[in-house]
Amino acid sequence: MKKKGNLIPVEKEIWPPVSPSEEDQPQTGQVNDSVISARHLTKKFGDETVVQDVSFDVPRASIFGFIGPSGSGKTTTVRLLTGVYKPTAGKVTVLDHNPVKLNRRERVGLGYMPQLFVLYPNLTVWENLNFAASLYGMSLFRGKRLKEALKFVELYEHRSKLARNISGGMLRRLSLASTLVHDPQLLFLDEPTAGIDPVLRRKFWDHFRELKNQGRTIFITTQYVSEADNCDLVGVQNNGKLLMVDTPQGIRHHTYGGDMVEFRTAQSFDFNAEAILRSLPFVRAKTVRTGPSSMRIIVDHANTAIPELMGWAQQQKIQVKSVEEYLPSFEDVFVELVRPEVNHG
Amino acid sequence: MGNIFRGFIRASSFLRKEIFEILRQPRLVATLVLGPFLILFIFGFGYHAQTRPLRTLFVAQTNSPLNAQDIQNYGSSLGVQITYVGITSNQEDALNQLQRGQVDLVIVEPVDATSSIKNNQQAVFTFYHHEIDPAQVSYIGYLGWLYVGVVNQQVLQSFAVQGQADAVNLQVTLKEAHANVAAMRLALQSGNEALAQQKQQGLASNVDAISQGVGISLGLLDSLQQTNGASGANAAPVQSTLTDLHQNTNQLSDSTLNTNERLASLDKTDKDITDLESMLAEFQSITPSIIVSPFRSETKSVANVQPTTLDYFAFAVLALLLQHIGVTFAALSIVRERNVGTMELFRVSPLSAAEALLGKYISYMLFGGVIAAALSALLVFILHVPMLGNWWNFSLVIVGVLFTSLGIGFTISIVSQTDSQAVQYSMIVLLASVFFSGFIMSLDMLLKPVRVISWMLPTTYGTLLLRDIALRGMAPSWVYLGGLFAIGLVFMLISWRLMRRLIAVSQ
Repeated sequence: MKKKGNLIPVEKEIWPPVSPSEEDQPQTGQVNDSVISARHLTKKFGDETVVQDVSFDVPRASIFGFIGPSGSGKTTTVRLLTGVYKPTAGKVTVLDHNPVKLNRRERVGLGYMPQLFVLYPNLTVWENLNFAASLYGMSLFRGKRLKEALKFVELYEHRSKLARNISGGMLRRLSLASTLVHDPQLLFLDEPTAGIDPVLRRKFWDHFRELKNQGRTIFITTQYVSEADNCDLVGVQNNGKLLMVDTPQGIRHHTYGGDMVEFRTAQSFDFNAEAILRSLPFVRAKTVRTGPSSMRIIVDHANTAIPELMGWAQQQKIQVKSVEEYLPSFEDVFVELVRPEVNHG
Repeated sequence: MGNIFRGFIRASSFLRKEIFEILRQPRLVATLVLGPFLILFIFGFGYHAQTRPLRTLFVAQTNSPLNAQDIQNYGSSLGVQITYVGITSNQEDALNQLQRGQVDLVIVEPVDATSSIKNNQQAVFTFYHHEIDPAQVSYIGYLGWLYVGVVNQQVLQSFAVQGQADAVNLQVTLKEAHANVAAMRLALQSGNEALAQQKQQGLASNVDAISQGVGISLGLLDSLQQTNGASGANAAPVQSTLTDLHQNTNQLSDSTLNTNERLASLDKTDKDITDLESMLAEFQSITPSIIVSPFRSETKSVANVQPTTLDYFAFAVLALLLQHIGVTFAALSIVRERNVGTMELFRVSPLSAAEALLGKYISYMLFGGVIAAALSALLVFILHVPMLGNWWNFSLVIVGVLFTSLGIGFTISIVSQTDSQAVQYSMIVLLASVFFSGFIMSLDMLLKPVRVISWMLPTTYGTLLLRDIALRGMAPSWVYLGGLFAIGLVFMLISWRLMRRLIAVSQ
């Protein structure tokens, strides 16, 4: 694929999230590098509100994961961002323009991979890709580019096969190649990994990271919350509402009220010791027993809490087997995050 | 310039895509070419322009003046239309046979024809049938009209035969009249007034007999002259000669005339008699069937070729097929894009409605053009359907039919929500074309307000124009051609407007 050397390299320090409660106007400096900016975005179909008061920013050359269960309004949000739908309320800019009013030249900068395969089963892999390239007005001498796109998604060997004769995973890869073929600046990928096996999913994420490293911005929706760890920023959507936008680590921290540390001892851990442990200043009130001699402790910051825990155990003459930061799976984080919503519902 | 070029590239995406998709269905292409060809081939092979023979049972009273042989002869004189099954006096049984389908037609002879005619009323032959097809019902009505015509002709012919037989007696009277003229001339020349008066009275009685005889037979000749459009004395030469004869004979009895004047009248009388004799001979030489049916018609075309039924329908089939291909392919085209979901892709992409439609128009026109070329070649070179006109004009009409049909199809496609809806609408267009385009019946048979539908259908224009070009060798009517393209343009604009709305942002 063509490498865009002039694009800003991705940094690990991620754009601070903008929650709906924050200021409407993004902060200066951050806005200048924002590729997508949504403010109080709302979409209603009749009386039903599908997307409600959603605000976030997506920095350039990042992967923004939009995570939520089926029916949470992810696809509608993508359609609002791509200009397929007009918002009922709120404002959105994509590449500094209202997506509904993007002109043709600006639209060439977008790549959109819908949730389902929408190309033509009676055309070959190559012909489908060629069709997608023509849609974006690519030069007639585009053979090399098509070849690169197919090699990128490892479909070049299958280029002569009819789309109807290739597997579901290949169809997703063909869709991805069709989205990438015109070298867009900003990619909208609507559940690209839905229904495909874990090996192929990993390959997809490898592709996405490579694209990000090439300087492209990716807005990706997924039902697989575990995939959030692959993103630079994650927005968690449920029932049309954006619950949180943060880095994956930030979301974990926010969800549990701090970092989680796995604390294992050689002998059984008594309740007195647990009570003392809870009263330590760097320990949050919550501890979770995972066995007679193990527990998970929520601390302010794992990197400072671990040495302090070791010192405390030494003082208490407790023989420690291990103390290490525990990263809960994103499934657990997600369940924890949406639980209040569900209970409230 | 770059934008225009990129627009063409975007349009070309549909051009390639549609053509590849069609080529992936070789059976479809083969069916579209070979299907209509085979249908026309079998039609040409199997069609025989003969009317259906009807198994006919006659019902006649036992005392009918028409005997069985007469009745059979009347039927068979119509040709193969009537197959004589038999004759019966039981009308109820005959009608039961008709109900059971054992016969196709029952002809009931008038019960007392002579009395009806004497009472100044026409005698009625009743034709019973069991048909539900309006065309067959009309055919039987027409057959009845022909049948009664034959019967009437037979009656007239018997009159003519009788007249010719009577003419033999008239000839004898004319000879006597000649003899009386000659004897009277001699009597006048010799001054024998008594003999002259005697011969004059004999001549007068001959003339009276001639007048009566001529009224029956030679009067037919006068009728013939009048039918032929002659006027004055020429219109009724027999009657005119008779009047002349009467006057001249009367002058012979005028005592105030001198001998020379009477001789002159006698010469005129003799000439009138000779004229009547020659007319009588002429009358006798004419066969009775010519006397009662003196005229017949002959049909000749000024066209270079006389097309067969196959030739006539071939171009209507071509026009209808092209319209159907255009409407159906276009009707399914956009609705499928919408159902598959590609429309969402188009909305995000820089594609415009005009580019999408342009690509689709060109691809389907190329495809339809290939089908039209292949089918036309098969018609002309294999089925030997005449092609008297110019191929460029022919192609122009094909382009017009395809262009307009595609416009209708795209409009249908955009307003349809599902494939089945699009197919239904296309079928309605097809059905309308079968009835209103002149495909099976002439446009003249439709009321003028209904013809508005006809003039909205590409098949109507296509059929008329292709027939004119191919079968008459004429240049296309620019009014029709203009109308065809104008309708196509209107539908193109409608589909473009609708497509723009479809590709535009959803509210």
